[in-house]
Amino acid sequence: MKSYIAFTTKEFTEQLRTHKALIMFTVFLLFGIMNPVTAKLTPIILEMFMPEGVEITLGDPTALDSWAQFFKNIPQMGIFVLAIVFNGLMANEFTKGTLINILTKGLSRSTVILSKFSMAILLWTASYILCFAVSYGYTIYFWSNDIVYNLLFAVFVLWLFGVLIISLLLFGGVLFKNSYGSLLLTGTTVVIMFLINIVPILQKYNPVLLSSSNMDLLTGKMQPSDFTASIIVTTALTMTFIVVAIPIFNKKRI
Amino acid sequence: MNILNIEKISKSFGKNKVINDLSFSVPENSIFGFIGQNGAGKTTTMKMVLGLLKADSGKITVLGEPVVYGQTKTNKYIGYLPDVPEFYSYMTPKEYLKLCGDITGMDDKTIKIKSDELISLVGLDKANKRIGGFSRGMKQRLGIAQALLNEPQLLICDEPTSALDPKGRKEILDILSTVKGKTTVVFSTHILSDVERICDRVAVLHSGKLALAGTLPEIKAQHKNDSLIVEFAVLEELECFKAIINGCSLIKAVEELNKGIILHTYNILEAEAVVLSLLSKNNLLPLKLEVAEPTLENLFMEITA
Repeated sequence: MKSYIAFTTKEFTEQLRTHKALIMFTVFLLFGIMNPVTAKLTPIILEMFMPEGVEITLGDPTALDSWAQFFKNIPQMGIFVLAIVFNGLMANEFTKGTLINILTKGLSRSTVILSKFSMAILLWTASYILCFAVSYGYTIYFWSNDIVYNLLFAVFVLWLFGVLIISLLLFGGVLFKNSYGSLLLTGTTVVIMFLINIVPILQKYNPVLLSSSNMDLLTGKMQPSDFTASIIVTTALTMTFIVVAIPIFNKKRI
Repeated sequence: MNILNIEKISKSFGKNKVINDLSFSVPENSIFGFIGQNGAGKTTTMKMVLGLLKADSGKITVLGEPVVYGQTKTNKYIGYLPDVPEFYSYMTPKEYLKLCGDITGMDDKTIKIKSDELISLVGLDKANKRIGGFSRGMKQRLGIAQALLNEPQLLICDEPTSALDPKGRKEILDILSTVKGKTTVVFSTHILSDVERICDRVAVLHSGKLALAGTLPEIKAQHKNDSLIVEFAVLEELECFKAIINGCSLIKAVEELNKGIILHTYNILEAEAVVLSLLSKNNLLPLKLEVAEPTLENLFMEITA
């Protein structure tokens, strides 16, 4: 336990001192501001640039438009930033050889993986909450949030999707020992999940559901229970990636 | 008692057999020099001892306990200094030692005392900055400090001096001599003067096998030299000597020096007697007549040739 705490502390120190935490917080803070502000300003901007005589009737933006921005930006740009920040989580240790000292001191390899996993989840959670809190603040300041259903649940499932991505990045890093492998595996898996989504009966099991149908929750078109299968699959996949990464790592030459 | 025992280990990378049926042991409280050319398999052997590489066959024990590939318990007895030690560049030496101490399960107080002691032993007390700005030599010293942190019974250093300047080398060797008595040191190198300076036992690794092993005096005695050096003050005397010695049946080969000559002989004692009598008969007075001491370098060249 002591070695777990020591190594996790080291992971946080690393994220802070190599400015990765700063990048995460800044980007997600910006997203947090952007989502409601874009929703608010889009009609005004459109009006300004509209040529003389052309009339488009745009309804006044609502809280739903703000959340639509949130659930568009985070699954795309947000997850992308997450992958960029964490793709070197394992790979950097391999390529720099920094683990040799640590492992010959008797740190178990599973602790390495679990420490990195917990740190990444915590940093992702903190950035995500920051983004959500800022978006929420602006949204209720501009509009009424009464028309929005299941907001917290929709936010939770997207968070869970982020955790899956982190486990994939770690798994890829252990498997290929470099950051390209980590990114490639994550990218390929996401593409495969989107391809699977073409088959309608599989959609409800697909982890992609957690990052693509959030607005349907907010409008009440879908209910939380519609997400149960996907949540179970996503959690199982995340755990599998982490559990399988350990024996693979044990066999890796460093 | 032997602290490290290696029995008949072999290791191949693909078709390339790096270690071939290698056996040796390291007695307690010695400084053991592990010599070999670049690529001879020194690092491979050390990594197998640490359980970082899997041996194809054979058995390794540390303090009687077998080494297992992957997670090996025997590493708690070992301090390891890799050839190029890599640290987290954003940490300071003290933070790094704290991390190492926490991982090995030392308590905070011991870590504090031990790391202060080691940091001053390796001369890093004034370097309280992040490791990212360290020179190679400073990293090497920190490497020794981290390797000695948990008071290991066996310290394994992989070419600790190869990349350092003469001053840095001397300092590292001095540190290694200091820990002798408390810790058994195994260090690999291809710098033979380092070995002669501090080691009391050596093993020479050549094409995956042990070409030579034992204490330094033993080895030198076994490979007693056969060469006689004769030097003169003026060239004429040398020419004259060369003329009279030419054709002597005891001389195997002749090597010329600036104002002297090296005679490789079949029998050093007889040859020396003959040379002395020839010198006096011809009234030649050499500046120097010497039986060449076998150097580790000569032995090494002989073995690896």
